[in-house]
Amino acid sequence: MAITTTTTTTTPATALKPSLLPDQQANRPSLWKRFWRSDWYWHLFMIVALLITFIPIIWMVSTSLKDRLGFAEDPAGLIPRHPTLINYRYMLTAVENVPIYMRNSFTLAIGTALLQVFVASLAGYAFARMHFRGKNVILTLLIVSVFIPRSGGLMALYELMTFLHLRNSLVGLILLFAANVPVPIFIMRQAFLAIPREIEEAAILDGASWFRVYRQIALPLALGGMVIVATLAFITAWSDYLVTFTMIDLDSQMTISVGIQKVLSNSYQSALTAPQFRGQLTGETSDAAMLLTATLPVIVFYALLQRWFMRGLTEGAVKL
Amino acid sequence: MASITQTAGKRRPTVRGERTNPWAYLFIAPAVGLYLVFSVWPIFRGIAMAFTDFRFIYPDTRWEFNGFANFREMWGDEDFWNAVRVTIRFTLYVLPATTILALILAVAISRVTRFAGLYRWMIYLPVILPVAVTYLMFGQLFNTKFGLINTVLRETFNIKRPPRWLDDPDYALRALALTDVWRGVGFPTLLFLIGIYGIGNELYEAASVDGASGWQQFRSITLPLLKPVFALVLLLGLSSTPMVVDPMLILTGGGPRDSTTSLGLYAYQTAFQLGDLRLGYAAAMNLVLGMSSAAIALIVFRGLRGDTDGSSGSRRLPWRRSSAESVA
Repeated sequence: MAITTTTTTTTPATALKPSLLPDQQANRPSLWKRFWRSDWYWHLFMIVALLITFIPIIWMVSTSLKDRLGFAEDPAGLIPRHPTLINYRYMLTAVENVPIYMRNSFTLAIGTALLQVFVASLAGYAFARMHFRGKNVILTLLIVSVFIPRSGGLMALYELMTFLHLRNSLVGLILLFAANVPVPIFIMRQAFLAIPREIEEAAILDGASWFRVYRQIALPLALGGMVIVATLAFITAWSDYLVTFTMIDLDSQMTISVGIQKVLSNSYQSALTAPQFRGQLTGETSDAAMLLTATLPVIVFYALLQRWFMRGLTEGAVKL
Repeated sequence: MASITQTAGKRRPTVRGERTNPWAYLFIAPAVGLYLVFSVWPIFRGIAMAFTDFRFIYPDTRWEFNGFANFREMWGDEDFWNAVRVTIRFTLYVLPATTILALILAVAISRVTRFAGLYRWMIYLPVILPVAVTYLMFGQLFNTKFGLINTVLRETFNIKRPPRWLDDPDYALRALALTDVWRGVGFPTLLFLIGIYGIGNELYEAASVDGASGWQQFRSITLPLLKPVFALVLLLGLSSTPMVVDPMLILTGGGPRDSTTSLGLYAYQTAFQLGDLRLGYAAAMNLVLGMSSAAIALIVFRGLRGDTDGSSGSRRLPWRRSSAESVA
């Protein structure tokens, strides 16, 4: 599993129009147009495929906008006839713990992202710029270890976290998620390697300390890598179920991605009993609203940073 | 920018120097430290634990080594063998479907010129959703009475008694597998897409000059050149799908009648939910699971990768920005 660094030069224009590559543009009439005429049926195929893929989500959105009657008369309808926000109002006012869970999720995801950016950028900088004994061995071991199956790890982690008194603690979870460093280190290393060496060399020759060069010169220029690492970390931490479920039992430390299950089964009862909402909604409609709310932050994050995200995945997947 | 000071007697650190730079160890210490404690230690401890009779509620048993007793117990454990069968079935449902769907989607996305970015974005969206949300959403979808699927089956297709999906031993595992395909198809699609973008236009041009049809081009260019990607997809799939725990844990808890108790779930329950919390026995089961799926994955990987040298295909990734990455 050799670590390769490739020299790639693409024109910056590709960044703006991701799907139109220079050589594709030049060849399009001769290749695509001549033999495929046009690509409309691929679009059609993709639209149908994506519609099928997204029906569950569309149905959720639609269900969350129905009240009890609306759901009873047309449970499968993908467009609600009388849209209402009552489920969301109910969730925000009458369901316990949802605000706590959401806050914990943000703490966990942001904390993981920050810590991981910090440790991975430090290490990535060392691997990109410094000479030390064992550098290649350590880097290779890090990368290879990604492929070792972690199956027995959960039991050992449970013991470890109990021993360290880090169970039921968001701090423990942040450490745990941030410890997944190989891919982030690799991404940061690539980001630092992309910076022209001369900029730092001048400062080093003038006697600036390594930490200073890293912090004041290299880090601002590696912003792209940091964004990628932070995005991946945020989404991983927010969306995790198994590890969080195993390590956290207390409501005060629980994240929405795990707590949602608890909230759903509880709210099924309270949806029928909460006085101001009595009879207006049902378990299904309020569940839909809560599921969507738990998802919204990752979707927003993913939408805002989609280009970075794809780059991050690519660097993680291809280069290893 | 740094106010730069001249220090007269300071050793001049060279960027490409031959000497070891002690700063480097300080720089990698936090990352490597975290990694050693939270990732490397559990691997070794997990292996060691497989040879103990560690029951969590009896802390003294932590290092009570019992040789191969766990593995002998497994051999005679009917639940274990049931779980093995469930795991194999689950993998056989999920993996081929995911791989083929991903390939088709990747080909389709690679053929369009506009909106390719949007399609990539959408097809990857299910992967990043919180797992619990995905599975609970499908739980609603599969709901016997009010779920979308059964409502459609009843009202549109006039099926009087549609399957009870998650409550029916014959259907539960398939329903979970469908959910897992839905969730998992995005990543292999992306891998295939990277591979296809990496093939380059020259070959297709030459083929079309020779009059090859689209299907022929796919058969004789795309498919063979994607072999390394197939190998990677199957390697990753075979080493992760058998270990899946989340859908069973969230939706069925292994039921009905143990029809969805995969090996991962059985180990999880043994460790964290049943009786004495037998972490040792669970770790042993996970060791068997991990070793055998890794072995199968490696065999498949070797077999597919053997005769083609894996040409890296990151050359033409459209979403890569101009990255003037210098060679180290």
